[in-house]
This record gives sequence, C-alpha cells and structure tokens, in this order.
Amino acid sequence: MSSEVFTQLVDAHYTPLYRFALSLAKNTADAGDLVQQTFFIWATKGHGLRETSKAKSWLFTTLYREFLRGRRRDSRATSLEDLPPGETDVAAEEVDRVTRMDASSVVAALQSVDEVFRAPLTLFYLEDLSYQEIAETLDVPIGTVMSRLSRGKAQLRAALAREETAAKSKVVPFASTAGRKQA
Amino acid sequence: MNNQEAKFILGGYRPNGKDAQDQMFCEALKQAQLDPALGAWFAREQAHDRAMASKLAQITPPAGLREAILAGARVSGNRRTIWRQPIWLAMAAAAAVLLAVSAALWPKRTAANVPLVNFAMADAADPSKHGGHGTAETALQTELSNSSTHLSKGLAMDFTTLEKTGCRTLDVAGRPVLEVCFQRDGAWFHCYIARCDDFPALSEKQGPLFAENGNVTAVTWADGAHRFVVAGVAARNAIERLL
Repeated sequence: MSSEVFTQLVDAHYTPLYRFALSLAKNTADAGDLVQQTFFIWATKGHGLRETSKAKSWLFTTLYREFLRGRRRDSRATSLEDLPPGETDVAAEEVDRVTRMDASSVVAALQSVDEVFRAPLTLFYLEDLSYQEIAETLDVPIGTVMSRLSRGKAQLRAALAREETAAKSKVVPFASTAGRKQA
Repeated sequence: MNNQEAKFILGGYRPNGKDAQDQMFCEALKQAQLDPALGAWFAREQAHDRAMASKLAQITPPAGLREAILAGARVSGNRRTIWRQPIWLAMAAAAAVLLAVSAALWPKRTAANVPLVNFAMADAADPSKHGGHGTAETALQTELSNSSTHLSKGLAMDFTTLEKTGCRTLDVAGRPVLEVCFQRDGAWFHCYIARCDDFPALSEKQGPLFAENGNVTAVTWADGAHRFVVAGVAARNAIERLL
C-alpha cells in the first residue's frame, strides 16, 4: 500500500476510531495506543484486504479485538446479558440534560456504562456503522446488538443523571463573609 | 408488531437518517407514524440519540496522534510506545530514519515520506488557525504572492527577523517552523519554512518533491539553509506554477 493511500485511510478513520477507543479504554493514552496499534496491524496485515470499502469495519473490528486482547473479560460482562430490559422511555428533560452537559462529562457518563453495552452504544452514536456492521464488528448476532443498545441506553441515562449531579456538587457556592471561617 | 417490539427495533435507528432505506425499520417506522404515543417516544429517543452523537463528535484526538500513527506504522518496530514519547521527538526520529532509508533504498522518493510535509498538509487544510503580522511577514507575503516570483529560485527572507516580528510560528519537535499564507490567481497557499540546522535529517539539498492527499497538494524542497513546504487546496499543476 502506498503511503498516500495509507495517509488517506488514517485521515478518514482515526478520529472515529479514537472516540471508540476512548469509550473503551477510558483514558486518552490507552485510547491513543489502541488506535496506533490498529493502524500498525493494518499496515502490516490489512493491506491484503482488497475491498477498501470494508476497511472501516475491519479497523473497528481490529481495534475492538485489540482492546479485548489487552484485558481479561470478567464474568460480570456475561451475567449482564441476563438483566431484565431497561426502562425504554426517554423523558424530555433527559434530552435537555445531554444538551447542556459538556462533551467530556457526556463521555465520562458513557465510560461508566458496562463495557458489554458501551461498545455497541458508542459505535451507534458514532453513526458510522449500521446495526449489521456493529454486529459484525463485535461478533454478536443482530438481536444482541439491539438488546444491548436498549439496555445500554437505559444505563447511560442513569449515568448521565449521576454525572450531572456530581458536576453540580463540584460547584462551590459563593460563601458570605459571615459564613467564612477565619484562617 | 406491538409497540414494545417497535421500540426495540427503533432503538437501533441512527439519528442521522442513514438507516432510512433499511427494510428492517420500515414497519416500525410506519407504526410510529400511525401511533401518536409511539411517535412521541420515537421523537424523544431520536432527540436524545442526536444529542449524544453530537457530544461524541466534539471529542477530538490528542494533538500529534495522527502523525504518530503515520510515522509509527512506517518505521517503528517499537509500535506500542512511540506515541507516548514526546511526540515531536518521535516525529523527528521517524523523519531521520525515513530519509536515511529512502535515500539508500528508494530512489523514487515522494514528499509524503517527510513528516513535516504531512504536518504542513494537515495545517494547510485548516486555515482558520492561521494569521501573522509584522513588516517582514508582509514583505515575504508580497514576494510570495508576486506571480513573477519562482519560489524554488530562492526567497529574500530572514528567518530570525520573521520569527521575532510576528510571523506565525509553529512548534515542531521543539523547533520553530514559520508559516506564511499567500494568494496566487485567487487561490490561497501556505508556505512553511524550517531551518535546516534545526532539522539535520531534512537538510539534504534536493529538488521539489510532491505529495497529494485528497484535495490538498504540497511540494517540498531545501536550499541548504532552509527546508520549504508549500501546501494548498489546489491541483498539482497549480503548485508547479509557483516554483
């Protein structure tokens, strides 16, 4: 693969891949490593992929596999599959909440969602992949993707509420002179 | 299909409308149009999803990650750690290795192999951050904009004066790189200038090398004292006419 084509591939995909990696890895350094590792694998193996239209799915799949390879899956991830469906209705104020929160707080809430839901949820919000492509990327059936989206959204809404409350509690109210302690 | 089933399916409908033609959603979408309660739920769900997608889209990768990917994939066997190092040092190291290897093994070099060119092309693609001032910069800008000036024949400029008097200066590998915007035939170009002493690996005197990435084209050359990169949203022949 020529360096020009590789550069174009990086330019087209490294930003959404980083966003996906950040939601999985929960810190910028590991997210950067995951993205770089993914492109390194492409540079050494992926150029054999003739259909460049499939490069996007290949990159997301590889990044996810690299993430899984980097840590042991815990048993909780599986048991979460057995949870009952989450609350599916979105209240109007929950839309407003997301709108008024800053992006880093929203991502922090997303990162607190259980990983089994977080991966499909992030891919869904990136809007680059269809539900079929998400299923292929995560190597799960389509029905499982839909189920995880439903449950993941319910978890996310709760996490957003917690995140906003935590952010508010960090705001220190202006204390009156009378209320201040003397040093 | 009852409303619970419809909600289950519509939960996977992307808010950007890319799934509008997908057959799986058709029946559920139709049901949402006919059932006011389901329709209201779907509108709120989509608004929430749209807000989430919008917030996620605001997350930008850390500066230098792109360059680290490009440099690391080409030259690094130590692939996992390169981007955590001071990024511009990594780029400089990559540039040194690239140039050494390409000089020895690859006679048909292209400008895209010089990380400084990739940096310039990325910077040129986003002129919203550009801007400089000062008499020296204005003089250089005038010279660059003059249609009779052939850039590769040499430019009347003093790097130190430009740097000290307000020319836009970028930090690359801890070294200053100047950038001056100029216009020719209605099109904007961006000239990047580095001192060869600051970038020994890029000091080799050589003729123009071109690189293209999407609609951005760049050319680079060195005159022994300075390394120049000119980039712009233009075709290669437009860049060639500048030289």
